[in-house]
Parts: sequence; structure tokens; C-alpha cells
Amino acid sequence: MSFLKINNATKSYGSTKVLHNIDIDVQEGEFLVLVGPSGCGKSTLLNMIAGLEDITSGTIAIKGQTMNGVHPSKRNIAMVFQSYALYPNMTVGQNITFGLEMHGVAKPAREKAMSDVAEMLQIKPLLGRKPGQLSGGQRQRVAMGRALVRDPDVFLFDEPLSNLDAKLRVDMRTEIKKLHQKLGTTIVYVTHDQIEAMTLSTRIAVMNGGYVQQLGTPKEIYDNPANLFVASFMGSPSMNLVPAKVVANGDGIFAQLPTGLSDQVNLKFSNPTEALKGFDQKEIVLGIRPEAITDPEGADRKANHIEQITNRVIVTEPAGSDTYVMSSLGGKDCNARMRADAQVVAGQDVPFAINMDKAIPFDPSSEMRIA
Amino acid sequence: MSVASTDNAISTGRITRAFIYLMLILFATFYLLPFGIMVLNSVKPLSEITGGNMMSLPQVFTLEPWFKAWNSAQIGVEPTGLKPYFWNSLKMVFPAVTISTVLGALNGYVLTKWRFKGDTILFGLMLFACFIPFQIVLIPMARVLGFLGIAGSTPGLVLVHVVYGLGFTTLYFRNYYQVFPTELIRAAQIDGAGFFRIFWRIMLPSSGPIIVVSVIWQFTNIWNDFLFGASFADLDSQPMTVALNNLVSSSTGVKEYNVHFAGAILAALPTLLVYIVAGRYFVRGLMAGSVKG
Ligand SMILES: Nc1ncnc2c1ncn2[C@@H]1O[C@H](COP(=O)(O)OP(=O)(O)OP(=O)(O)O)[C@@H](O)[C@H]1O
Ligand SMILES: [Mg+2]
Repeated sequence: MSFLKINNATKSYGSTKVLHNIDIDVQEGEFLVLVGPSGCGKSTLLNMIAGLEDITSGTIAIKGQTMNGVHPSKRNIAMVFQSYALYPNMTVGQNITFGLEMHGVAKPAREKAMSDVAEMLQIKPLLGRKPGQLSGGQRQRVAMGRALVRDPDVFLFDEPLSNLDAKLRVDMRTEIKKLHQKLGTTIVYVTHDQIEAMTLSTRIAVMNGGYVQQLGTPKEIYDNPANLFVASFMGSPSMNLVPAKVVANGDGIFAQLPTGLSDQVNLKFSNPTEALKGFDQKEIVLGIRPEAITDPEGADRKANHIEQITNRVIVTEPAGSDTYVMSSLGGKDCNARMRADAQVVAGQDVPFAINMDKAIPFDPSSEMRIA
Repeated sequence: MSVASTDNAISTGRITRAFIYLMLILFATFYLLPFGIMVLNSVKPLSEITGGNMMSLPQVFTLEPWFKAWNSAQIGVEPTGLKPYFWNSLKMVFPAVTISTVLGALNGYVLTKWRFKGDTILFGLMLFACFIPFQIVLIPMARVLGFLGIAGSTPGLVLVHVVYGLGFTTLYFRNYYQVFPTELIRAAQIDGAGFFRIFWRIMLPSSGPIIVVSVIWQFTNIWNDFLFGASFADLDSQPMTVALNNLVSSSTGVKEYNVHFAGAILAALPTLLVYIVAGRYFVRGLMAGSVKG
């Protein structure tokens, strides 16, 4: 039985429906990340789990108990807010123990819990300060402390890192991951940052327009995106999505598309599905991640099938560890990731190796993956 | 809602600065002059004033007019001085200010954080209270006080002032709480705090500046009110303002201007005090650091 079960949950504000039939099962100890663009309903869903928004239809259950109509404080959840929401009039210590106090925990037990949590988060020296006297990172820690001290069944995080600067965000990300590994608590985490989603989660729900587009492990989401939205949203730099024509003949099934040198190339699919065969002579969208297009020396040796083509380099972007090389494929800009010391110069015609194991066909009309 | 900063003044040249100070001093003098004259004349014997020299410094310094105004001046028919009326005013002002401020805070809290259907309309209607002239409510108010059996008493006056002030205090607190982060309320809800606990432990402690504004406003208005006091108070509940009027306009005997001046200052002192004590909290931002930024 799942630990947190969201069953056919919808949310409407008046006549506008902002969440459509959400079904998500979370197992105990899982780290579920809700990711999606702004306004897709992530916070709304999280607030529904917390009990801060009511559920228009459907149910949400924690540990087998339906939570519809149950007060937030009775759900045994804890939440970390984007703005941290520290009580400005209380000290850090009081902030952390306020929830325990409200739940009638005796003072000695409160003090003990507070000092344990402060120890774990290394905020002991801050306990006597007011939130106004803390840095952004420290406030973030205190907000986590306030959630941790309750020992809840489920942790809810609403974009907890989005107010931090880039460096601190990466540090805190690691810290949250460590914390999850240590405590093994069930976490639902909202972010619009797909890197955060990939690195933290055990499973990701990609949302858009009030729908869950795909629910799966980070690897499933990344390698087998269910549709064009997931494919383009997840991954940085994002997946190349180029129009192509399917051509089937005795040698196999090919994606036919023009290069920047305006000759047609045929790229052979490694493991074509039956469904793809049905697209013979039809237009598809071919999805290839930048790291699947390399210089020939840098190509994955374990790949089943690598297509090598010659194409003209439009621009190169050295990024230190890699060099991104832009060329034109199927009439679109196509990003390739090459080794940092690959010898490529803008304007030259150079060989590209395309790992066809990683090429994903999409149906342009339904936008779904062809599988 | 950020910490008041002192370094946002534009740096100016010396001449400009001198000019600014000159103007400030000029205006300060202009506004302080009447008060100064009142003080001067309240410590003179009456003969010096009737002798025709109101503007000069006292030749004989005396506090007698003050004692007289306070203790023994003729107010209406009784030679009681202003003292009993001063207490009347206090007995009216303290409950009225407290109740209207607390209710205004509660209203603001509900109107911003516990939204309900029609709340904006309700708030709009409450705003009307700020624009209704005193005179319009006199007769309905008299009926209500009579109906409740508290006409001509201090509780009656308290009720009048609470009702009349509620529109203002609600407006203040609503606007202040409007920008109060709702996430704080949500966090407190998850922490298990209920409606009043959130109000008492989270909202009120962060409302310092607006409480001060509300208290100063209400105190000044209620203390200085004459119309309601004159209309709804009996002899034993008349506020200071009404008594002062009776003192000044009593037609028997000679007009003791020095006593009148002392009485007027006495009547103005509490509001002055409130400004001096509470004014510096006006600008102090207590919200710093609740949220990012
Ligand atoms: N009270 C409301 N009334 C009407 N619509 C609302 C209300 N609250 C939220 N919405 C709508 O619901 C949708 C989802 O909002 P939500 O806050 O969940 O987005 P989000 O995914 O968290 O976005 P972000 O990343 O910007 O925080 C938005 O389109 C928003 O306009
Ligand atoms: Mg959000």
C-alpha cells in the first residue's frame, strides 16, 4: 500500500480547472519531485496535500487515511515554504519549537528536540537570533529545522532553494539529499528547476497545464520522455527536436532529414518499434539529446548503432568541460556536445557521430512518443 | 515594511543645507508661537494680562493658574476645576482606544487572511464609516444609546467612539495585513495554531507600527472630540473638552485668561505626550526578515 496516495484529485477555482485528475502514488521513503513551468499547479497540488487548499474532487490519503477535510496540523506533515515563512517576532529557537508547543509537547522535550535539530543542521549558534538577523542560507536552514523537529510522516517543500544564489543552491541541494538519505522520510518537493528535480528525486512527476505529463524515475523521464513537452522541458541544454521523414526499406527504418549542407541524410534507427514502421513516409519529430551527438572519437563505444554525418559548424560554445557545437539539422539548430579538446571551428565542415540508440521519435500531431 | 534607513537622504551643499534649516526653524517657530504664548500667559497673574501685555515675559512667575484650572475653577456651576473631567476623559479614552484598535486588528486579520465571500464589499461598506460626518450619526446614535440604557454614561461614550473609529482602525490594519505574508499564516496553521493563536502570537507581535498609528489616531480623535461628548455625556461623564468649554465660556465673574490658558494646555497635554512617546515607533519596521529581502 502506498504511503501517500493522490487519487484522481482535481482542483478548480470557480469554473477554472487548475488540476486535472491527478493520480500519484508515493511509497514510504520516496523523494518525489513535482516539476513544471510556472503556473502549472505544482504549489496548488502541494498545498492540497498539506491541507492548505481543499480538494475539489478525488482523494488524498496518507498512510491509508483519507485526508480530505482534515486540518493541516492533524496530517502530521511539515512544510518548508519558498519564502521560508519564519515568524519574524520569534527567535530561531522559538520558531523551531512553535509547532511542538502548539501540539502540547512539554518544555524539556521541546528543548531536547530543538537542540538535536540545531545540532544536525549546525545552527546552534543562531538559536537566540531573530530571523531578520540571518542570511538567506541560514534562514533556509532554520526553515528546514522547523520542519524536521516535528518528525512528520511527509515533508513538503515548495521551491525551498529558489531564493538562494547559485552556489548556495547547489550546496543546499546536496545537503537536502544527504538529509533524505539519513532520515529516510517521505518527501514531496516542488521545483521548476529540472536539474534540482533530476539530482534530488527518486521519482519525478513532470507537470504542465494542470496535468501530470509523466511520472517516473529520473532516468525514465530523461531517457524515455513520454511526449514532446517532457522531452523539451527536462535536460539542459535541452533535447534537439528536429523534423524528419520516416523511410522504411529492406535495410531498416530511417529518419530522413536535410543537414546544413543541404543534402539529405538517412539516420538508421537502432531498435525501431512496430509503431514506428507505421509511420513510413510520414513526418515525425526526431529527438536527440546534445550528448548523443559528438565528434566521432568521443562517441559512446557501447552504442549499438552510430550514424556519422558531415555537417557545417555554425557556432561553437566552449563550456570548459565540454564544447557545444551548433549545426543545422532538419532545418533547425542542432546542439552537439563534444569533448573540450575536439578541433572544431565555426564555418568548417566536420564529422558528427549520432548515437541512434538515444534517438527518440515523436508523433508531431499528438506530440506523443512513438512507441 | 523594511527597516527605516537613515542614509537615503540626498547629500546637499552647504548653502542648501543652511537654507533648509532656516526654513525648518522658521516654520517650527511659526507653529510653536501660539503654544508659547499660551504657556507664557498661563504662568502670569491675571493683572499682567489684563494690563494689556500678552506678548511679554511674566514679571511675576506663578503656577497658581494651573492649580486653579486643575482644582478649583468654576466649571459650569461647580467649582471643581478640570480634574474630575480629566479622569472622565481617561476613563473614556482608554477603553475606547483599546477596543477599537483590537477590533480593527481583528477585522483586518479576517479581511485579509480568512477571506470569505463578499469580504471586499463588506470592507467597502466599512470604509464608508470614514467618510460619514459626525453630525449625521447623532440622532441614530442617541436612539441606540437610549435603547441600550447607557445614554449619558461613560460606557455609552466608549461605544460611540468605538463604533465611529472602527472604520479607520479596520482600514489601517487591513492595509497593513494585506502585505503581511500569507505563508506565515499557513506555516502557523501547519504548526497547529488556531485562529486566535495565530492572531495573538504571530500577527499582533508584528503589528507594532500600525498599532502605534491606530492608537495615536484614535487617542487624538477621541480625546479631542467635543461633539459626541457634548451630545451624549451627563455631568458626571463629561470629557475634558466639554469641561474646558464650560470653563472658558462660563459667564459669571471675571474672565481669568491665565486659568483658561492653563486649562487649554492641560487638555492638550495627553495627546502631546502620546505623540512624543509613541512617535518614534511610527517608523520602526518590525517586519524585517520574515521573508527574503
Ligand atoms: N486563488 C486562485 N484563483 C484562481 N486561480 C488560481 C488561484 N490560485 C492559483 N490559481 C491558478 O492556478 C494555477 C496553478 O498555480 P500554482 O501556484 O499551483 O502554480 P505553480 O506551478 O506553483 O507555479 P510557480 O512555479 O509559479 O509557483 C495558476 O495558473 C494560477 O493562476
Ligand atoms: Mg508555486
